[in-house]
Amino acid sequence: MIGKLLRADFLKIKRKGLWFLSFLGPFGVIALQMVNYGVRKDYLLNQSDDDWGYFLEYVHSFTPLALVLGIAILTSFMASIENETNAWKQLISLPVSKMSVYLSKFMVLGSLLFVSSLLLGVFSLGYGILLNLGDQIPYLELLKYSFYPYLAALPILALQLWIASVSQNQGIPITTGVLGVIFAYSAFILPDWMIWKWPSLMNEWDEPLINVMLGIGVGTLLYIVGMLDFTRRDVK
Amino acid sequence: MVSILQSEWFKFRHSKIMFIILTVPIIGIFLGFTSRFSNEDFEINEWYLSLLSMNLTYALLFLPLITGVLASAICRYEHQAGGWKQLLALPVTRGRVFIAKYVLLIVLVLVMQVLFFVAVYIVGMIKGFTDPFPMVIVWKSLVGGWVATLPLIALQLWMSILFKSFAAPFAINVILTLPTILVVNSERFSSFYPWAQPFLMMYIGGETGDTFYVPWVQLLTVVGGSFILFFVGGYLYFQRKAV
Repeated sequence: MIGKLLRADFLKIKRKGLWFLSFLGPFGVIALQMVNYGVRKDYLLNQSDDDWGYFLEYVHSFTPLALVLGIAILTSFMASIENETNAWKQLISLPVSKMSVYLSKFMVLGSLLFVSSLLLGVFSLGYGILLNLGDQIPYLELLKYSFYPYLAALPILALQLWIASVSQNQGIPITTGVLGVIFAYSAFILPDWMIWKWPSLMNEWDEPLINVMLGIGVGTLLYIVGMLDFTRRDVK
Repeated sequence: MVSILQSEWFKFRHSKIMFIILTVPIIGIFLGFTSRFSNEDFEINEWYLSLLSMNLTYALLFLPLITGVLASAICRYEHQAGGWKQLLALPVTRGRVFIAKYVLLIVLVLVMQVLFFVAVYIVGMIKGFTDPFPMVIVWKSLVGGWVATLPLIALQLWMSILFKSFAAPFAINVILTLPTILVVNSERFSSFYPWAQPFLMMYIGGETGDTFYVPWVQLLTVVGGSFILFFVGGYLYFQRKAV
């Protein structure tokens, strides 16, 4: 059942610009570094002996913002596809459970963001090589900087999907996204328990893996809460 | 014209837009209590540092993004169930409807600016600032930030009329706003980038020779030019839009 729902959902997002946005997010993050390094490459390369590490940190300074906003945009898009044509009713009246409808939406969004993270890694690698940052390519670090923020942002995805799928007015999830990006931008002063801090991979123990674990754990929890709430609500 | 404005105001009162505006003081107070600078090392008016750090995040990200949401929100009724058709079947011209929506928007943004500085004041009171409140500086950045936002909301109104969903105009807004974080580091580029103008107009450390924190030439060309471009673009698009 979930396979068919997934196929239907992937069909629905065709030609709506969601795949394009998933590409544009990581591309934009790297494009900003292209401008940054394009304007003052020599200065930036003199700042540190570890050119790759320095470059990746610069890339990572934009990743959480793009991720938080990207999640808000994609989830709201997913919900509007059903909202605009009153399709929730039709979808739910099919012989499918509401839980699997919700799971399918979450999986589609998860895949879109996974592709974004993968592209972020590829683009970082590509532009890094183009910049001649050195032969010692830190593949492990590249993977970490590409996928850790994604995993740490799972609670935000679960929260945004919950809000977007139960709101008639999509202004509510978008506003939540704006608040989220302000929190993500102020990550270094946020307390560790705020979910918007986690994609920045900062915490008081200086161990990014904690954010990843918390992300997966709390993300699952928030997903379950959101799904239960979604199944209990009336479809208008 | 007055009756169109009244009907816009009526629609506004019966929608949930109020809560969008209420996020402004919330973010203001949040930014105030997570202020980046400490006053201990400096011998200047306590309000200045508070204003510097609060205005930074507010004008750089929050103001351009939230005003875009506001623009989508005031077009929401019309996008639902043929609202454009109903509205335009009334004896009104499309141009006036567009202007009425824009006027409502700029009034709401002005209210947001005032609420933000009320939040600044409250934060200062709670922190126990004893220095005099810099009224002139606050007025300059309040009105300056508002003026700099005018072209951005014109574009967002255009995009909100064009797209049915909230997400699409917001995506465009994000794509144009995020680069500002990098652009403001460069004096050369930032003066030409419309999305950097709210920050520059509210950056109280800027030049104070002119009325605002940016030179009149830049204000007229960049803010004025982009305003004309976006407003006329939206106006003409709305004239031709099939409803």
